[in-house]
Amino acid sequence: MALIEIDTLSVTFTAKGRPVRAVKGVSLNVAQGESYGLVGESGSGKSTILRAICGLAPVSGGTIRIGGQPLPHPRGPAFSRQVQMVFQDPYASLHPRHTIDRTLSEPLAIHGIGNTDQRVTQALNDVGLPPNFRFRFPHQLSGGQRQRVAIARALMLEPSILLLDEPTSALDASVQAETLNLLNRLRAERGLTFLMVSHDLAVIDHMCDRILVMQHGQAVEELPREALARAEMKTDYARSLFAASADRMLGA
Amino acid sequence: MTTLTAWLRDPSPTSRRQARLGQAYLAWLRLKRNRLAMIGLAIVALLIIVAALAPWIAPHDPITQALRERLQPPLTPGHILGTDDFGRDILSRLIVGSRITLFIIALVAVTAPVFGLIIGTVAGYFGGWTDEILMRITDIFLAFPKLILALALVAVLGPGMENAVLAIAITSWPPYARVARAETLTVRNSDYIAAVRLQGAGAARIIWGHIMPMCIPSVIIRVTLDMAGVILIAAGLGFLGLGVQPPMPEWGAMISAGRKYLFEQWWVATMPGMAIFIVSLGFNLLGDGLRDVLDPRNSGK
Repeated sequence: MALIEIDTLSVTFTAKGRPVRAVKGVSLNVAQGESYGLVGESGSGKSTILRAICGLAPVSGGTIRIGGQPLPHPRGPAFSRQVQMVFQDPYASLHPRHTIDRTLSEPLAIHGIGNTDQRVTQALNDVGLPPNFRFRFPHQLSGGQRQRVAIARALMLEPSILLLDEPTSALDASVQAETLNLLNRLRAERGLTFLMVSHDLAVIDHMCDRILVMQHGQAVEELPREALARAEMKTDYARSLFAASADRMLGA
Repeated sequence: MTTLTAWLRDPSPTSRRQARLGQAYLAWLRLKRNRLAMIGLAIVALLIIVAALAPWIAPHDPITQALRERLQPPLTPGHILGTDDFGRDILSRLIVGSRITLFIIALVAVTAPVFGLIIGTVAGYFGGWTDEILMRITDIFLAFPKLILALALVAVLGPGMENAVLAIAITSWPPYARVARAETLTVRNSDYIAAVRLQGAGAARIIWGHIMPMCIPSVIIRVTLDMAGVILIAAGLGFLGLGVQPPMPEWGAMISAGRKYLFEQWWVATMPGMAIFIVSLGFNLLGDGLRDVLDPRNSGK
């Protein structure tokens, strides 16, 4: 049975009094331990699907089930311990006035988990940050280091599912690879399930077992990694997307 | 000393306290570069020191009358700033009166901004009906001119220092609510708030721990800039006889008493006027400097 089941999901925002359909009847299934990628150009609705899972976007139709259970409204503490998210921009996703220590211990405080000191040091260690970073502020860290903190924060509650919203697109090319390798290592160590959004097929190819190509809020084509590697796309849109990042993929 | 600065500037602090003090130290260094702000800080510090030591440094009793020495001009031996119409030393009255001014400022500064901050962040965070109701109440308070509303309140509550403070606090919270709400609106859709919400944090924790810290700098700046206005309203109430009652040496009431002699004995009204002017200027300069240091848009540079 699939861990994440999304069935004909629709999301409709209201902008300036008019309904804007960001996601139109998208279905997908992610198995336990799988890494699943959503690809598409900006505005194709891929990030909106992640936000809909988290309850941060208005769902207008369809269902989202995790472990066979429909998600409660509001999401509740059990959801927080099962699903966490890493945001795109590490410059915007860490509170500028909280130390790293505060950022990492906040989820523990919310859920009444003790042993804060040890867990925070362990979390820093797990994402490859030295322990003396603990009481720094985000502005004293580089982009890659901030994203490591954001990953550590997402893992504080030991979730089984990690939603990744373009986790490397705001980082330098050299740091991107490090961060992706870190994510892959953590997934292997902890048996995490990834649902990852990217517009970069090279990143998706490096990370994901299966991908779903999206355009204008609709699913265009789903294909496994092998098909991506052999450039066996059925639709023109997926092929053009592939062509746009093919040279970088071959170089990688 | 050098070990202390090294400890404060350590890029990898080892405790929460060291991290916080280190940030405060950096803010202080930035404030120190602004000469006008330092002048403002010096004036405010002087006000606090004078108020703290008032009974010991005032050369004369500020209340005892000496009718033989009434309306002595400034630079008279023993009365550097002259005497008023009851022969009381003006310098002594200004020194003791600084306590009243500071007391009013302090009380207003700890009540109005806190109340405004709570109203503004709650309205901004929840939006919808909560926002409408809270902000329309704020608008009602903003619609009245501050001094008129304060006058009406004092007229109802009766004259006196406590009621003057209450009236000033009640009339000065709406701008803080506005500032806090505006700041909350820019912050509440940010990723770091989404992240903590995703971790299961409740509204109270998010507002208190995550939104308020972002609003506090702009509110503090606003408070220091408003302090001049608070002093003037307190003085205005005193001038109209609705604030601190005689014979207490409140600066506004002193101006009011000197009004009768303005043309012949100018110093009676001018000296307290100068005191109000200098203290207002001090708070304004300090507020301008704090804006440069505390504004979140400048931090991290």
